[in-house]
This record gives sequence, structure tokens and C-alpha cells, in this order.
Amino acid sequence: MAEPVAERGAHTRRWLEAATSPAGLFVSAVAVLSLFPVTSVIRDPDFWWHLRAGQLILAKGALLGTDPFTYTAASHAWTMHEWLTEVLFALMQRAGGLGLIVLVLSVVTWAGVMLILARAAMRAPHRFVLGAGLLLGVLAGYPIWGPRAQMLTFVFATLTLFLIERHLARGGRSVWWLVPVFLLWSNLHSGFVIGLGFIALVCAAEVAGRRLRMPDGADLRRVRTLAFVLLACTAVTLVNPNGPGILLYALQTQTSAAQQSLILEWHSPDFHDWVVLPFGVMMLSLAALAAYNRRMRARDAALAVATVALALQSVRHIALFVAAATPVWIDQASIALQRVRPTRPGVRAKRLPSLRFRASVGVLLAAVLVAAYAGGRLAPAMRVQPGSSVYAQEFPVAAVRWLAQAPHPLRIFNQYGEGGYIADQLSARGDKVFIFGDAALMGDQLLYSYAAVEAVQPTWDSIIRGAGTDVVLFDASTPLADVLAQAPDWKLEYRDSLSVIYAPRDRLAALQLPPSVGVQGR
Amino acid sequence: MRVIPSAELEAERRAARFSRIAWLAGAALLMLVVTVQPLRDTDVWWHLALGKLITAHGIPPQEPFSFLVAAHGWIGQQWLYEVLLAGLIGAGGPGAASVVMGVLACAALAIAVLAVPRNARVPGAWLAVAVVLSGLVFGQLVGVRGQVITLLGAAIVLFVLARWREGRVAAVWFLPPLFLLWANLHAGFIVGLLLAGAALVMATPVAPAVTLSRRPLALALGGAVLATLINPAGSWLYGYVAETFANPTLTQVVTEWMSPDFHNVWLRVFEGEAVLLVVLWVTGGGPDRFHALLAFAALIASLQSQRNVSLFAVVAAPQVALYGWRSWQAHVAPRLHRGPRRGPGPTRTTLTAAALVAVAAAAGATVLPTITPAAAASFEASRYPKTAVDYLLRNFEGQRVYTPDTWGGYLAYRVEGTQWGRVVFLYDETAIFGDAALQRYLDVHLLRPDWLTVLTQESIGVAIVGDMSQEASALHVARWRAACHDSASSSTVFWSPGVAPPSSGLPSAGGSTPAC
Repeated sequence: MAEPVAERGAHTRRWLEAATSPAGLFVSAVAVLSLFPVTSVIRDPDFWWHLRAGQLILAKGALLGTDPFTYTAASHAWTMHEWLTEVLFALMQRAGGLGLIVLVLSVVTWAGVMLILARAAMRAPHRFVLGAGLLLGVLAGYPIWGPRAQMLTFVFATLTLFLIERHLARGGRSVWWLVPVFLLWSNLHSGFVIGLGFIALVCAAEVAGRRLRMPDGADLRRVRTLAFVLLACTAVTLVNPNGPGILLYALQTQTSAAQQSLILEWHSPDFHDWVVLPFGVMMLSLAALAAYNRRMRARDAALAVATVALALQSVRHIALFVAAATPVWIDQASIALQRVRPTRPGVRAKRLPSLRFRASVGVLLAAVLVAAYAGGRLAPAMRVQPGSSVYAQEFPVAAVRWLAQAPHPLRIFNQYGEGGYIADQLSARGDKVFIFGDAALMGDQLLYSYAAVEAVQPTWDSIIRGAGTDVVLFDASTPLADVLAQAPDWKLEYRDSLSVIYAPRDRLAALQLPPSVGVQGR
Repeated sequence: MRVIPSAELEAERRAARFSRIAWLAGAALLMLVVTVQPLRDTDVWWHLALGKLITAHGIPPQEPFSFLVAAHGWIGQQWLYEVLLAGLIGAGGPGAASVVMGVLACAALAIAVLAVPRNARVPGAWLAVAVVLSGLVFGQLVGVRGQVITLLGAAIVLFVLARWREGRVAAVWFLPPLFLLWANLHAGFIVGLLLAGAALVMATPVAPAVTLSRRPLALALGGAVLATLINPAGSWLYGYVAETFANPTLTQVVTEWMSPDFHNVWLRVFEGEAVLLVVLWVTGGGPDRFHALLAFAALIASLQSQRNVSLFAVVAAPQVALYGWRSWQAHVAPRLHRGPRRGPGPTRTTLTAAALVAVAAAAGATVLPTITPAAAASFEASRYPKTAVDYLLRNFEGQRVYTPDTWGGYLAYRVEGTQWGRVVFLYDETAIFGDAALQRYLDVHLLRPDWLTVLTQESIGVAIVGDMSQEASALHVARWRAACHDSASSSTVFWSPGVAPPSSGLPSAGGSTPAC
């Protein structure tokens, strides 16, 4: 029994040697530094209605059959594909406020980044390349990071790809963990369809790669097992309160022309925006590395091409590109580096300080970075409350406070991205919004109606009035606000630096709005 | 072993050459279906107006149509294109311009694919595949527009550089006259200079036996740069190009300067060609360094601005043909079980010729109905506010007019040659207008808080806007009156409360807007 212990000791020492080498320290530093971009205050406008929906589910003890937030889609049946996420949000908020949610989602996102690292490390790449690739991946995903439900799909996607890779490379039964993973995932977020797509794509790519004689193909028996896992995963995704409809729901979202054209996050990346540039650099450098090496596994090629196509279609899919393509980039960069600077046997490695010294430096470096993260990034993000000035820069915090003083519930025509916040803050009083961020629930017809008003098409006034709107709460610097300013039958009742509120003159008396704020003249 | 007589060999070579030409010509003819287009580009009208103006009075020193004060003096960077376009349309109508520009676009593709190295012996079928694929990619960006000239110029430069890399040094002396012409036709000549400059620095010979002599290319490139200075604006032409690229508002306002929207199917074809090219590089033995540089540069430019997708298509065309053929040879051909190789016999040549005639006939049958005067008039009336402008010309003489920038050029074309003077607000020659004028226009177009003030300050009395536009709604709210409605182009003529009513009389109060 002494031999395995000695072997384990030697293994640990080798690991420590590698981890405390300059390249190893670089990887560790990047791993800790990646905590910074994945942590922020809540910027996702959809977060607020998820939170409120979770509270309502807990209060009711059941899913909400129809939409409780709008006066326009109240009869629409609601497929609550993120019901478990919403319940968890509500429970966490109850236990530790928004700060706990920020903390948990930051850790979850970071776990996804670490799974990318683990998957990439399986191919034993050059450690500097491993660190550089991870850094590039984290920077590429910058437009998407932050506390939001979509990060659950990111982490489950990285876990799925990790388990797939582990299975195809080493075999074993761990791939069957995907079944409970998908059971959970399909109740947390409808992005699980992407995970099923990844498994199917890898299976198809491995079969095709074998026919095309592509390098480093997996054992076909393992591919067959993966195909069975896919069937089992698909079956368990049906175990959710929405039943098989959840699969259709996910596909509807992907194919809705209204959602794709009207919602900013579904737009293609704008390469004039500097935050998208790392994604562009990563994508093009991956293409350059592939062309230079001319050696790529079938599954890597398939995942890279598929996620490039997804990311070019919609900014929000950049996270999937990062999840799938970062290890591929690292692998390709390692191969290229090996070609440019082959490791020469017999060349002595540079002498390094003692292992104890390097380990101490590593621990100190990690401690400093973690402390800087906790003090400079995490704690400030956790402290921010819904009514704070930080949120007032992006959400109509003060305008909502003003509306809350009205004696009767109101029907509010609102900006699409602000519906969730307004619903979260005012739905308890009975106020209703025109629209909020569950685009599939709203339906294409309502989305187009909203778009017509936002673009101030000639029907704008009749759409607002026809829906039975009491007030219009909109961003101040928009065409709609500027047209309302000229419209004789609308009256400005509230103005701050972000928002304006207009009410129809003929209904002012009935509405009994609070005293006007920020209004001069008119 | 049978000895093939030399006459038979020669006949085989001739037939093979014919087959190659036939494939290429067939693909180019087929692409006419895509490249022959009506006057879709909204800029064509102000180019046309300028062409007429220049023909009659020479190049104007200042911007001639707008009542805004332009930031810069007029740079006649496309003066020759404008004069030729006006002459062509004057002689043969819009249909003639559509055909000529469509043929030039197809010629650009055909010349570009011929930039493959000759020793690669790429068969006609692969050249045809590359032409068709790139043709589909750039189909949305060609038509009657100056950019087609730049695509043709870039293709010629690629062809010249390919011959230079084969050791045919004399080809480079074609560059100075090419650039002399190009710089007077379109400001995109910069692309050609960059291509030649990149070749000078990075290109390697196509075969080890070839010695690359860089000095003639350097001299020719120097000559080409000097030749570009021979234009009405002289060296200011370069300032114009810099101004266009440095204008940040342009990329926010003009769709073509924005990043590609990959929800569009035709941009998915572009994406497909880019992915295919990388796959063919990998499977075709790896890309030549110069080829990779060109493709990546064009790809980056395309991701920045979708107008550059057409340039990518031209750059990618010879590479798709070359690496596609190499991939085929490496991976597919060895698996095919073929009998003894037979050269193309007379029957095959006849069949090829018949197929070529059939393609030409099909392309002609598709294209011809779209270039008749009636089709051109119908297109103009549906795409541009033709009837609305007719009404304007009858009723609001001399009034300053607000239109979206995309219709500003059309209005300029319609009032050119009349006594109306400067009545246009703005059209898409943004480098001349400058950012301040563009912002002033955007104040109205985007309904910024001072939109009505700008209309008043600029003494704008009439507006022609789309029925569903936000300007239409805003003008209604501001109590401008709808004078008439142009149902063909879905536009409405509004007039300001401060302007005298239309000379044909007031529309009936409370009734629907009368037709223009």
C-alpha cells in the first residue's frame, strides 16, 4: 500500500511544480482575475420580472397560468420555462437580498469559466497559451457577463461540453451525469436546447469526421454511448411543469422574426463597439490558427463553426461561443506554438526558485487578487439596492416612486426594457405595464404594436389609447417623448433626467395623479 | 502504349480551353441575373444630377443642391463616373445603365477568378463555382453604383498581381493607367493601392522557379500613386477618403456602413463563403501567406461595414477556386474510380456550346423584362416619391424641402436644371456636408428635442416623407397639413402652417388626403 501513497505524493509535487511555475502562476492569476468581469450590479432588465414572478409563484404555491403584469397580454398562457430560477431568485432575495443573488450568479458564471479551463487543460496545452486563451475568452464574453438567468445556460453548457470531452477522451460513466443535469437545466432555463444541440452536433461530427478521416477522432463506442445519453437527456427534459411544450417554446424564441428584429440582445454584434472587438479577435484568430495548423478534430470544428454562426446572429450567443470555442482556441494556439517553437529535448529548463518560495508567492498573489476582487468589485455590487442611484441611471427609479403615490392602480405604457422593473416595483399595487421582457409571452403581434409606437408610426396614438393606457412612462431622449411634447392632447406630468410621464388631458381629472414634478411652462 | 499524335493533342488542348472559357462565361452570364438591377441605390440620383450638371457647366466648386452650408468644397471624386452615367442614361435610359453596370460586376468576378495561378490548372467548373458563390454574396451590393468600378479595379489589380507573382513583370505597367482612370471614377482606388502595397511587402512567387522582382512593382505602384493625383481635386482626394472613413456619424446612420446583420439570408451566404474559404485552406494544403492576408483584411473590413462584403467576395473568388480545386484533388479525386482519361471530344464541345447558349438565353429572358423603360419607370415610381415630387414641382415652387437623406438625391435629380435653386436638405455625400450638417439633419430625422426648431430655422416649408415614418407622425402632431398622398411610393407631401397653400388649392378639410 506504500507505493500508491508515494505515487500520489509525486503526483501532487508535479502538480505543485507546474502550478507554481511562471506559466502556472499566470494561469492562476487569469483564473482569479476572471472573477472581475463576471461580477457586476444587475443590468439585465429581465431580472426584475423574474424576481417578481418567483415571489408570486411562492405566494401562490403554483405556476402562474397567465401573465399577471400587463394589461395587454393578460389572457396569454404563460410557459414559465424559468420557473425554478425565478423561485430561487425569490428565495435568495428573501434570505440575503439582491446581494446574495449577485454573489451566487457571479460564482456560477465563474464556475463556467473554470469548467472551460478544465476542458481546455485536458489536452495538456502550453500553460501560457492556456492562460492567454482563457483571458481572451473572458474578454470576448464581456458584453454578456453579469447577474442574469442566461448565465445558468452558460454554466450548464460548459459542464455539458466538459463531460462530453471527458467521456470521449477517457470513457467511464461520468457522462451519465448529464441526465440529471438536463433535468435541472430544463427547469431553470430554456437554453437547455442548446445543450441537446451540442451533444447531437458532437455525435454527428465524430461520425462524419471518421468518414472524412479527420484527426484524433473518438472511439465510436463512446460516441454511441453519447447518443444514448442524448436520448435520455431529451427524455428527462420533458419532466417539467410545461411538459413537451418546453421544446417548442425554445424553438419559437429562436425563430420569431419579431423578437430577432426588435430586441437588441438578439441583434448581430456591432463591430464598431469596442466591447465586441475581443470576440472578433478571438473568432478571426481561431480561423487563422486553424488555417495555419491544418489539424483540428471534427467535434472542435463543428462546435466552433456552429457557435460562430450563433454568435454572429445574436450578441447574446457570444457566451455560447466562449463556452464552446475557448478550449478549441487554446488547443489550436498550443499546436501553433509547438510548430513555431518546438520543445527541444535536452535543453535544460531555466532554474527557478524553490517550490516553497514559489508556492508562497502563488498563495500571496491569489490572496491579494481575491481581496481586491472582494473589496473592489463584489462588495460594492452586492450593496446596491433596487431604489439606488446606480439603478436610477438605467431604470426609471424616481418615476416609479412618483407613480406609486397615485391613489389608484394605473395602466402604464412603458419602454420594453423597463417593463420588468416597473412590474417588480408596482405590480403589488395593481399597476399594469404595456409590455415586458418575456417576448414569447407577449407574442409577435404585441411586439409589433409596441415597435410601431416606439418608432412613432402614424398609428402610435391610437395604439396607446386603444389599449386603455392611463400614462406613458418613457425615456426622455426618444422620438416618442419628443412627439408627445408637441402633442396638444397629452400633458407632461413628470420629468427627470432619464424619464418623462405623459397623461391624456381628457383623463387627467379621473386619474388623480400626484402633483407634477420637473414640469415647467405647459 | 499508344502514342497520341500532336494534332490530336492540340485539338484536345483547344477543346479543354474552350470548356474552361465556357464554364467561366456561363457562370458570369448566369450572374447577370443577380447583377443587372434597376436604379436601387439611392445615391444614383445625385450622381446622375451631378453628371448632367458637370456636362453642362463643369465641376461645381461647392455642393450644388443643398441649402445647408457644407463643411468642405466639392470634391469631384466620381466626376467621370457621373458624366458617363448621365451620358449612358441620356442615350439608352436606365436600362442601359443597369446592363452596363451588371456586365461590369460580372466582369469583375470573371477577372478575379482568373487571378488563380496558371500552373494550378484550375478547371473551369471550379472557376464557375467560385463566380456563382461570390456573385450570390455580392449581389445585394452591386447594381448601378460607383462601387462596382472599385470591384472591377480590385479584380484587375488581383489579376495583375497574380501574373507578376508568376514572373510576368510587364503586367505591372498596366497599373498606372488603371489608377489614373480609377481615381477619376471612384474613391475606392485606395483599395487597389493597398492590394498592390501588400503584395510588394508580403507576396512570394507562385513557384520556386520564379524570381520575384519587386522593383518594377514598386515603380509601377509609385507611378500609380502619382497617377491618382491627376484628378480635379488633386491630392485633396486623399483628404476626402480620410474624411469619409473618419466620420463617426456615418457608421451610425447609413446602414451600409454598419456591421452586417446576419439575420439577412444574403449575409449568411457571405458567412458561408468565409467559413468555406477557411475549410478549403485547411483541406487544400494551407493558404498562401498573401492570400490569407488579403482574405483576413477583407473579412475584417466586412465585419466593420457590410458594404465591404462585396470586396470580400472579389478577394475570395480566386481563392475558393484555387483551394477548392486543391482540396478536391487531395481528398475527393483519389477516391473516385475513373476509367481512362478522355479529352473533350467534338460531341462534348458541342454540348458545352449548347449549354452556354441555353444559359445565355435563360439569363437574357430573365433580365430583359427588368430593363425596359416601362419597368424602370414603374420601379422609380414605387421606390422614389416620383408623383409626390411632380406635385411639389407644380405647387410649391422654390420652397425648401425636407426629405429623408435617402430621397434627398432623388429630389436633387428632379430639381437639377430647373430654376428652383438650393431646395434639398441633405443627401448621402456626408464627407462633403461634414458632421455638423449631418447632425442638423439627424435632429429632424431622429426627432431630437429641437427637431421643430431646426425646420423653422432652416425655413423649410414642405416635407416629403414616408407614410409610416416617424417624421410623418411628428409633422401631423405639429399641425403641418398633408397636401397629397403618393400611393405608389407610400409617401405624403406636407406643408408648414407658415407657407402659402398649394397653388392647386387646399385639400378638402376633414377629408382624406388627396392623391398627388
